[in-house]
Amino acid sequence: MTMTPAAPRKSLRWRLLAGTLLWIAATLLIAGWGLGNLFQQHIESQFHAELKTHLDQLAAQITINGKNRPELAQPLSDPRFNRPYAGIYWQIDDLDNPAADPLRSRSLWDARLTVPGDRPGDGEIHRHRVAGPEGATLGMIERSIHLASPTEDRPRSFRLIVAADERLMDEPAGQFNRALWLALAVLGSGLLIAAAILVVVGLAPLDTLRVALGKVRNGDSQRLDGAFPAEITPLVEEFNSVLAQNADVIARARTHAGNLAHALKTPLSILSNAAHPRDDEFARLVADQVDTARRQIDYHLTRAQVAASHAPGTRCLVAPVIDGLLRAMRNIHAERPLDLKVRAMPDTLAFRGDTQDLQEMFGNLIDNACKWAAQRVEVHACLEGNRLVVTVDDDGRGIDAEQRDTVIRRGVRADESVPGSGLGLSIVDELAQLYEGGLTLSASPLGGLRTMLDLPGISAKTP
Amino acid sequence: MRILIVEDEPTLKAQLGEALQAAGYAVDTADNGVDAHFMGENDPYDAIVLDVGLPRMDGITVLRKWRAAGKTTPVLILTARDGWHEKVTGIDAGADDYLTKPFHMEELLARLRALIRRAGGHASAELGCGPLRLDTRNSRATVDGQALTLTSHEYRVLAYLMHHQDEIISRSDLVEHIYAQDFDRDSNTVEVFIARLRKKLPVDLIETVRGLGYRLRAPQ
Repeated sequence: MTMTPAAPRKSLRWRLLAGTLLWIAATLLIAGWGLGNLFQQHIESQFHAELKTHLDQLAAQITINGKNRPELAQPLSDPRFNRPYAGIYWQIDDLDNPAADPLRSRSLWDARLTVPGDRPGDGEIHRHRVAGPEGATLGMIERSIHLASPTEDRPRSFRLIVAADERLMDEPAGQFNRALWLALAVLGSGLLIAAAILVVVGLAPLDTLRVALGKVRNGDSQRLDGAFPAEITPLVEEFNSVLAQNADVIARARTHAGNLAHALKTPLSILSNAAHPRDDEFARLVADQVDTARRQIDYHLTRAQVAASHAPGTRCLVAPVIDGLLRAMRNIHAERPLDLKVRAMPDTLAFRGDTQDLQEMFGNLIDNACKWAAQRVEVHACLEGNRLVVTVDDDGRGIDAEQRDTVIRRGVRADESVPGSGLGLSIVDELAQLYEGGLTLSASPLGGLRTMLDLPGISAKTP
Repeated sequence: MRILIVEDEPTLKAQLGEALQAAGYAVDTADNGVDAHFMGENDPYDAIVLDVGLPRMDGITVLRKWRAAGKTTPVLILTARDGWHEKVTGIDAGADDYLTKPFHMEELLARLRALIRRAGGHASAELGCGPLRLDTRNSRATVDGQALTLTSHEYRVLAYLMHHQDEIISRSDLVEHIYAQDFDRDSNTVEVFIARLRKKLPVDLIETVRGLGYRLRAPQ
């Protein structure tokens, strides 16, 4: 049996983290974009409001002098108007005398604002975007105003223009955006750390569950132990009850099988004892049939009592089982001068399966060796990889190579009756196969038969 | 030699009783664990045949109680339960041998003989004392190859003495080991059996130890 671990699927942890990461990133990007736009709009409206304020101030300060030329009663309050190319400008065109040089802010220096050819009506304010000095794009507003002329009857018309470099908006917008993205980045990484902690803490019970399952699988524990959150407690309880039920079913099957054995074998004993004193055909018939019945009962009941291998959570140490069996063998075969020996066996050596099944297998092997041995029986057990390998040697007369297979397979089917042979070894082989192991026979260095049993094993860390 | 049979199935119990009596043993029977425990603890049996599945107290518990009380009587477990798990449990509880049903009566008898013999420290099935030999396999005693004709009680007395050679055996000991419980006992009959045995044996192998009992000893 080789269990190659399935290629690990994407872990729950990574799925949760990747999902959270994507979601946080998307949300923050949208939020950043929205906030940036909002701020841009706010700055633009502020920009225009400022232009309007300057235009109003310009309208309030404009006067007309004796030569019908516009003049400002006071300079505009914003000092930038006096700094050349400061980015904010005003200009007053004389609409009645377009050829005249317009009155303009000092900041314009020798440049001149050119206005698209429309003419706003009274009270109207027009907005434009125009090219300005030094390649700038200017946001501009204009209005026209009529002032009474000191020399003429009809009023004179002027166009008031205030313009500002749009780049003036860029600086606060840039500052805002830098701060915004920095804040969003901090928020994002904070959220991500929180998500990671949540995933680790939230999924920790699953790790506990995995470890507990591993223990059950290795036979370190009979049930899933540990404190689990409410969400997976039902799962754990269900699993534990299945495990318990499993053990219960096995125990009950064994009790019933034992009772059945008792119920059948006592009458068989009586029958055979009653027939025995008569030395005739009838007595031999009874003896034969009793023998057949006994072997069938043994065979089927042994099978019924097998815990059937892969019940998780079962494990038993090998050394105590072998010690117990050798004690029993020394009594049962007390009449024969046997030398029973166990060769070096680690105390931690364990079988991944049921104790009674192991006893049944070893018992039959060692008993068989004791029956046939002249004097010596040696038991050896060790762990090879994750297999428990047990050999039993005797110095009896052995079994010929060509008969070994038959000995294992024979006498097990209902329609076959081979007296007194094979049954023990064939049961062992069947039991071993239920555990995905097997029994092999070979010649022993002691001169007799070597039986070798291969079973799932493990080294118990705590003997 | 006195044997206790503990078996709850009446027919099997009767068969066992007959077979063991025919083999020369004094036999008592019990059909439940509580009686068996009491009898085994209070009467000096030479061996006990014990079933495991018993009413009132199971055989393994009975056996454990005997062993805990210091009783060393050889016990053979006779049961239908034949798993190695059960065999190991039985042996670890203090059983000396384990036989599963259905069984051959000859095998049971052979194993019982062996148990009694080993309990007395004898290695061979044939016990010897000077010219006297006792074959426990067929309950025959011979002197220099000549068979002795013995009644069953004479055989029991001789067999008990042979198993305990060189030990002083009191008259009451002998009574305990040659009679079943319900037998009308009279310790004077022991003297009668001893007298008859002395007549049948060519030399006086049975020595009377005044005030204590008898001793079987090979001639120096």
